Amino acid sequence: MSEQPLLTVTIDNITLQVPAGTTILQAARKIGGEVAPPAMCYYSKLKESGGKCRTCLVEVSKGSEKDPRPLPKLVASCRTTVMDGMEVKNITSPRVLDARAGVVEFLLINHPLDCPICDQAGECHLQDLSYEHGKEGTRYEFQRRTFKKHDLGPYIQLHMTRCILCYRCVYTADQLTARREHGVLDRGDHAEIATHIEKSLENNFIGNVIDVCPVGALTDKTFRFKNRVWFLKPLNAHRDCPDCCGKVTLWNRGDEVYRVTARKDEWGEVESLEDGSAAWICNTCRFDKKKTSDWVIEGPRDINRHSVISQGHYAGKIGTTTPTEIFTAVHDGRQPKLLMDIHSVSEVNRPEIELSRIAGPSHSNDFQKGNE
Amino acid sequence: MGVQLLLEKVKVEGIRHYDVYRREGGYRSVEKALKQMSPEAIVEEVKKSGLRGRGGAGFPAGMKWSFIAKPEGVPRHLVCNADESEPGTFKDRYLMEFIPHLLIEGLIVSSYALGSNDTYIYIRGEYAWIADILETAIEEAKANGMLGKNILQSGFDCNIYVHRGAGAYICGEETALIESLEGKRGNPRIKPPFPAVQGVWMRPTVVNNVETLAAVVPIINDGGEAYAKIGVGKSTGTKLISACGNINRPGVYEIDMTISVEEFIYSDEYCGGIPNGKRLKACIPGGSSVPILPANLLLKTAKGEARLMNYESLSDGGFVSGSMMGSGGFIVLDEDQCIVKNTYTLTRFYRHESCGQCSPCREGTGWMEKILWRLENGEGKESDIDLLWDIQRRIEGNTICPLGDAAAWPVAAAIRHFRDEFEWHVREPQEARKRNYGLAHYADPIHVPVAG
Amino acid sequence: MNKNNIGFYMVTFSEQELAKVKEIISHYPEGKQKSALLPVLHLAQDTFGGWLSTDTMDYVAGLLSIEPIEVYEVATFYSMYNLKPMGKYVFEVCQTGPCMIQGSDNIIAYIGSKLGIRPGETTSDGMFSLKTVECLGACGYAPMMQLGKHYREHLTPEKVDAIIAECRNNAAAQN
Ligand SMILES: Cc1cc2nc3c(=O)[nH]c(=O)nc-3n(C[C@H](O)[C@H](O)[C@H](O)COP(=O)(O)O)c2cc1C
Ligand code: SF4
Ligand code: SF4
Ligand code: FES
Ligand code: FES
Repeated sequence: MSEQPLLTVTIDNITLQVPAGTTILQAARKIGGEVAPPAMCYYSKLKESGGKCRTCLVEVSKGSEKDPRPLPKLVASCRTTVMDGMEVKNITSPRVLDARAGVVEFLLINHPLDCPICDQAGECHLQDLSYEHGKEGTRYEFQRRTFKKHDLGPYIQLHMTRCILCYRCVYTADQLTARREHGVLDRGDHAEIATHIEKSLENNFIGNVIDVCPVGALTDKTFRFKNRVWFLKPLNAHRDCPDCCGKVTLWNRGDEVYRVTARKDEWGEVESLEDGSAAWICNTCRFDKKKTSDWVIEGPRDINRHSVISQGHYAGKIGTTTPTEIFTAVHDGRQPKLLMDIHSVSEVNRPEIELSRIAGPSHSNDFQKGNE
Repeated sequence: MGVQLLLEKVKVEGIRHYDVYRREGGYRSVEKALKQMSPEAIVEEVKKSGLRGRGGAGFPAGMKWSFIAKPEGVPRHLVCNADESEPGTFKDRYLMEFIPHLLIEGLIVSSYALGSNDTYIYIRGEYAWIADILETAIEEAKANGMLGKNILQSGFDCNIYVHRGAGAYICGEETALIESLEGKRGNPRIKPPFPAVQGVWMRPTVVNNVETLAAVVPIINDGGEAYAKIGVGKSTGTKLISACGNINRPGVYEIDMTISVEEFIYSDEYCGGIPNGKRLKACIPGGSSVPILPANLLLKTAKGEARLMNYESLSDGGFVSGSMMGSGGFIVLDEDQCIVKNTYTLTRFYRHESCGQCSPCREGTGWMEKILWRLENGEGKESDIDLLWDIQRRIEGNTICPLGDAAAWPVAAAIRHFRDEFEWHVREPQEARKRNYGLAHYADPIHVPVAG
Repeated sequence: MNKNNIGFYMVTFSEQELAKVKEIISHYPEGKQKSALLPVLHLAQDTFGGWLSTDTMDYVAGLLSIEPIEVYEVATFYSMYNLKPMGKYVFEVCQTGPCMIQGSDNIIAYIGSKLGIRPGETTSDGMFSLKTVECLGACGYAPMMQLGKHYREHLTPEKVDAIIAECRNNAAAQN
């Protein structure tokens, strides 16, 4: 056997070679575009993550060169490694699209759809996901789940109703901080992120849970309601920090720093540094350095294709975004469906509200009734 | 009664204790295995026996054992799955409560075969008094040199520990069980790695059901081939069935897998028929997770052959017209039972027991429960039935562990076979609240016997 | 047991209980003392008044050298751990399919009306709690309930009456 053999894998009819040990998801991300399955729980920088949300399910139509039988069930691409000669179908598989639509529906039935007052709006992976894979309307006719309010202290705001239980924040606390103080309590459909005893989370690297949270369940309290992200200008900046890499994105309006986050790559994950480690940032950088003078500004930051911010979904232009080429290419020329009109479901940013007209910083009240 | 390999001695006075058990021929397999056989030879013998896992999945035990990884210097563990929480199933409890040494004996032999020096019995927390019985049995075995260091001068050391769970069906799933044994929440692991490679404390681990491990005793005593001669086809040996619901003689029966379902239900040797002269409506033959079958399809397969109490015959017809042997929890429903209500309680069970890790199961089970509640209480809509179908379809196969499937199958089968009863709940909510739908046309094609 | 004069349990195990904890830990490999969590929580619940207070859980975390959150996560996952005080006698009645077929609903309703409580509640004198549970593995002996360490099976209203009387007698005898 040779050293580190390259394996051949075909995903949605596109063939590439990857090193052994690569997961289907990682391979698909190399192709990029719509071929990369959506991942709500997997986070490449967090060990053990993945496998839970089931949005990344794909069909393995050929197991490997050695054993070409298809796998009977859809598999979580984030936790399944590539075999030589494997053939995978993501968006070319009606089964996958159906299952994924199901997962999205499941994730949304208890979601409050309170995007109008959610600080994550515009950066929320669930919004993106439902936009791309969901269905219009909901078939869920019961009261949505509620939780007892839980205060996590001055830095981090928890909105449990929005949580999709991806466990990313739990792994973050486990792997980045000295001691984990929050976790998943209870079980089943009542499982929740909490500390059990009201306890504020202040551990130095705990702020990273805000960046890893795919939805608006964990948000920056020092930023709450101050502004909508799409009004802010992201800037790359750094400072000499004794605790972390000090490389951040500042979210400014004019000269004012509204928010500090880690820098994120096109998959919404914290970027990797040159040495391969992740560019996590410490609480001081995130919460305390809110003056432009604290930072060396490097320049404006491009917002990745993944983000709703960049796609103008919020300017009332629903349905007008052009799908990326690759989707139609591998999808028999079919156009992606606009599956869920978030506006109609949740009255999020109703089209008649022209956001750009609201004099900022906007406040959640701006989105409430009577303001049309 | 047919052949009895496990429960033959269960009624012997004092069999719960070592002396009586030993006098009745107990622990012979330990002597034979440790003195005359190599671990590999035992695995071979179990392979030859055709023994299939009795915990529900029916995976060949010998094959499973041969998969265990044997990295140098890493301890291996055998874990006995005594979590038994599948509604309708109470056979392991019976075995452990009344003839605990049989399990201990099977465990010693199996531990030797697998090279497990520290073996664990993971027992459901509610079986607190049975945990005590097992601990006493372990003490007795130890006092008699069957456990501990250098058992019977063979050089083999083995300890068995009882580990009580604390109320979670999901801990019957083997990787959840392993997590729970490690002192964690019972969240099933994402596989691979499989337990045979990285199980408890990341060591190679085999998890087997109580009955599977007890069956190792007769296999070693009489040989794998003799065991394989009992039963039919791939259903070798005997199987414990726990029968409950509307029958005259609920309880645990050891059957050889050649008898028919009809005989099992109506013979006085087993269930003794249905009480009060009622007629058979339906049956869940293998624990609550397996598809429910209407009377006609239960007694005869779609091909018109008599259905037998074994793996192959119970699953004849697939999910369209068959079911599964599952864990051997045999639940009988008479004509007074409401399928919608029954399905509702089972769905409530799965919602309650979902660990909540993966979205289809966490959200889907709760949703199905709510819809079923609404249907049962006469507030349902015609479209609810299709919606239920759609939800279960999207849970099945898309979850981390088979609990998702287990929650989906009962709903699917109930709708598949009893759709008219669901529809009746929607159309006649008043009636549905007052009385049961009774026997539907599905029972007609074949004669459905009346008790007695 | 360590009950102080105001009726609260002091959260410290006796020598004997600590020896038991040590013995339990010895079942698992070096450094894997977290594995003892479930059994130690059972012991703690039995010792400290039938439920797990935050103090109790923190104490157990200390004994096993693990983080308190690891204990909270586990205690809230498993249905046998009570996170609030329960009555002296807890009737845990099974309500799953096979028991339902045999009329567990009626038994639950009967117990409820006898004691004047609903499932999830405790009588005002702190004597009885009623809890509905899912299948306990006694489906052939339905309807049934768990009372303390043991099962009470083939329940009828008469049997329920007798059990309630038995509990009252036992309680009276203890005082
Ligand atoms: C949700 C769920 C619950 C289970 N519960 C049990 C159980 O209580 N007892 C058991 O022996 N197996 C149970 N199993 C099956 C185990 O995962 C595993 O297959 C079995 O212990 C293997 O032993 P066997 O090969 O001897 O049957 C369960 C599986 C699932 C998915
Ligand atoms: S709070 Fe956010 S990061 Fe944590 S589990 Fe929920 S969704 Fe995931
Ligand atoms: S299928 Fe259900 S029980 Fe199994 S891992 Fe997923 S949520 Fe947990
Ligand atoms: S990203 Fe793969 S299951 Fe969530
Ligand atoms: S259903 Fe009640 S004990 Fe099994």
